[in-house]
Amino acid sequence: MKKRGLKLFTTAGILLTLALAGCGNKEVEKTEKVSAQPKEEQILTVYSAGPDGLAANIQQAFEEKTGIKVEMFQGTTGKILSRLEAEKNNPVADIVVLASVASMDGLKETSQLQSYQDAKQAEKINSDWSNAEGYYYGYSASALGIAYNTKNTQEVPTDWSDLAKEQWQNKINIPDPSLSGSAVDFLYGYALAEKNAWKTMEIWKNNGLQVNGANKEALDAVITGDKNATIAGVDYMAYKAKADGEPVEIMYPRSGTVVSPRAVGILKDAKHIEAAKEYIDFLLSDEGQKLVTEAYLLPGNKEIPVKNRAALDEIPQLSVNWKGAEADQLEILTKFNDMFR
Amino acid sequence: MTSFKFWHGRMVTSMMMEGRRTFGFLLTIVVTFAIAPLIAILGYTFLKDGQFDISQINRMLEAERVWRTLGNSILLGVLVIVGTTIIAFPMALIRTKTSLYRYDWLDIILTIPFMTPPYIGSMGWILFMQHNGFLQQLFPSSAWLAETFFSLFGMVMIMSLHLFPFLYLMLKNTLLRMNGSFLDAALIFGRSPWRNWTKIVLPLVVSSYVLGSLLIFIKTLAEFGTPATFGSRIGFQVFTTEIHTYLSRWPVDISMATSLSLFLLSVCLVIWYIQNLIGRKHTYGVLSGKTPAMREVRDKWTIKLGSWMFMGAVLLLSIGIPYFSIVVTSLQKVRGNGLQAGNFSFASYQEVFTGGSAGLSAFLNSVMFSVITAVVTAIIGLCIALYIKKGETKKQQLLDFFSLMPTIVPGIVFVVGLIMFWNAPWLPATIYNTKTMVVVTYCVLFLPYSVQYTKSSLSQIDSSIFQSAAIFGRSKWEVYRQIIIPLLMQGILAGMMMTFIISMRELVAGLLILPPSVETGATFIYSQFEQGNVGVGMAVAVITVVMTVIFMFLLEWLKKRGGHENA
Repeated sequence: MKKRGLKLFTTAGILLTLALAGCGNKEVEKTEKVSAQPKEEQILTVYSAGPDGLAANIQQAFEEKTGIKVEMFQGTTGKILSRLEAEKNNPVADIVVLASVASMDGLKETSQLQSYQDAKQAEKINSDWSNAEGYYYGYSASALGIAYNTKNTQEVPTDWSDLAKEQWQNKINIPDPSLSGSAVDFLYGYALAEKNAWKTMEIWKNNGLQVNGANKEALDAVITGDKNATIAGVDYMAYKAKADGEPVEIMYPRSGTVVSPRAVGILKDAKHIEAAKEYIDFLLSDEGQKLVTEAYLLPGNKEIPVKNRAALDEIPQLSVNWKGAEADQLEILTKFNDMFR
Repeated sequence: MTSFKFWHGRMVTSMMMEGRRTFGFLLTIVVTFAIAPLIAILGYTFLKDGQFDISQINRMLEAERVWRTLGNSILLGVLVIVGTTIIAFPMALIRTKTSLYRYDWLDIILTIPFMTPPYIGSMGWILFMQHNGFLQQLFPSSAWLAETFFSLFGMVMIMSLHLFPFLYLMLKNTLLRMNGSFLDAALIFGRSPWRNWTKIVLPLVVSSYVLGSLLIFIKTLAEFGTPATFGSRIGFQVFTTEIHTYLSRWPVDISMATSLSLFLLSVCLVIWYIQNLIGRKHTYGVLSGKTPAMREVRDKWTIKLGSWMFMGAVLLLSIGIPYFSIVVTSLQKVRGNGLQAGNFSFASYQEVFTGGSAGLSAFLNSVMFSVITAVVTAIIGLCIALYIKKGETKKQQLLDFFSLMPTIVPGIVFVVGLIMFWNAPWLPATIYNTKTMVVVTYCVLFLPYSVQYTKSSLSQIDSSIFQSAAIFGRSKWEVYRQIIIPLLMQGILAGMMMTFIISMRELVAGLLILPPSVETGATFIYSQFEQGNVGVGMAVAVITVVMTVIFMFLLEWLKKRGGHENA
């Protein structure tokens, strides 16, 4: 009897082990591999703030070209920053891509980034969007505009203040700046450059401006006709929706708008520095920049032509300085939240 | 992982002993995985550089926003109790007192709303009710409804429609058990029907109603999906969304998130305590030996019509409308063109089922995590249930309490605690940022289901079985293997199915702890709304729900079969 008991107990034990270890072991093996033979198979961990399709395309092209495997975590800028914060004690990420240069500059100021000054083609990348010492590079950008529904909009707006008119009552929204890095960029740029910015926002609010989740959620409300226009809509999403046949158009207000760069940098605690450098080289290369334009974004390298969208110099811009902007952005965000909550 | 193997090897042996070692061992597991996270939250909130420090808590208590959140949460909880009562009470009466009692399949249908992931349900409602939404496309004159709907009223309605099955099942069971002798006695002693109702039925129902509604209250406080989708739209913040905000939005404030988690935990524990007090005072022994016999019921046609209409309305609102929106959205070609002939295709489904698509792999991840969770919780749950038995000793009660903690503690609190715990600097190794972390989190969250199911089927085994087995000289292990476990199998399987269904739809845990490159079905759907293609997201939602419903019917079939075999 004892024997049978033992046999059963062993079987049960094996089953349990399989069930429990099944998923965990893979990870263990993976990490072991990395430490044992770092040259042969490398794994690069990238925390990237969208856009979904582009990040996946870049990952695929980069993996094919270099043979380095990329582990990608995608999320909004806010989510990535919070993840970095929570993981301070055991950091895993090598590369961080944020949709906001101000936040990137904040990371640099709190010395969470490391410099990579000799990135290839670095000199061709827009210097307004990048750090001169190579801590981060603005490899792409989106311009913010008014995305409107072409079926439901009778009179196309020409400027921000148009949306304060009565005909837009309850028909406008804005992406939630605590979720969307580009919306913070817009508020910051707009509030600094326009004297009447806060007054206009007050009128927007009285006109029923809805704060509507992340960028895509705000645009979706316009696509489905719930709202007619999105303030500070990111243009590449609108171009993409338009290409899919949705009744959406983007316009850039004539008084000027904000161009919100996306930046990439290497984290200070990165464990795979060589692979990380290759990743940055790839993003800045012509091939990487072309992938950027295919996602309807503005490339960081001006020599690369844009595709099916307005080029940078066709967009009326407000002048914005991103460096050291994080504290001011926080203040503006708080003010905005107090106003709308 | 090696320590895991060792532990579980021991667990099986120790089952035979039932002594102090079993207790110590089971307690270690539960404490490491379920209690340590809560302690980590306490530590993070109250300790600063190794010193006791209440500045964090003070900072939270001083913020006006926190009190507004508390007010919102409690208001929502109370209103959802009212909402679920309005739906569940008549429903329970209809299903016990009218001729509709015959149709047991209605119970399966009525649990579908609860099985629907709440964020999907609310997204369905939003798409249906919004300006130029499906309702307005079908009935343009209904525009005024949108205004009324996008308010606290709409949120309470959506959440009530999601949570009512809980209250309904509790009330129905109480009413069923009472049908027999109590009412017979009342009839014989010749009081008016009205008096029978107020003096006998209502007092007996009240205790189970209060328990049920407090449970609804706790569930409402712990709910994340609806507040995150619908609540954020109408600017109604509650605890769960605030905690999530502090953790995932810029500027990040982790200590605020842990303080808030602690606050939410305290509120839930207080309610749980009240529930226990009431439960102890007002439980009547309605369970006598006599099985309640169902009499043939003949209704007036008005009652019959009314009952069916009520049933139809509830089903339309809780299942019909949200699923209509979900399915239509998943089939639309151009969403801006609305409900138009020719605007429909299976393109989204094709995209999901193309090899290696993000949606499909997310869905398969969910399946994998859920299966592993179901198996692991079933095994641990079995051991715990076998140890607890009827909960006669203090140790058994303690373990019982600990293992059921996750039902009282909102999921997001556990998730925050697990993140804090597994990121602690003193840990020699961590499972954070691995898939194991996901499984561990799911196991902690859903262990109670498997413990409950196994316990309840254990309670059906008569002690005479143990005695006769002892008389015939079987060893303890043999008794377990040949008699008890086969008898419990139905309960264990039912628990596994339930765990599987619930793991499949878990959202907030996934949002906060998934490692890079890994998505689950739920987070995939959610992120399609944030960044990607809503149609594809909805297609994954439809696939998930179809699978869930199939599992539910399997579960029901399993229960029925089990019933026949035992009888």
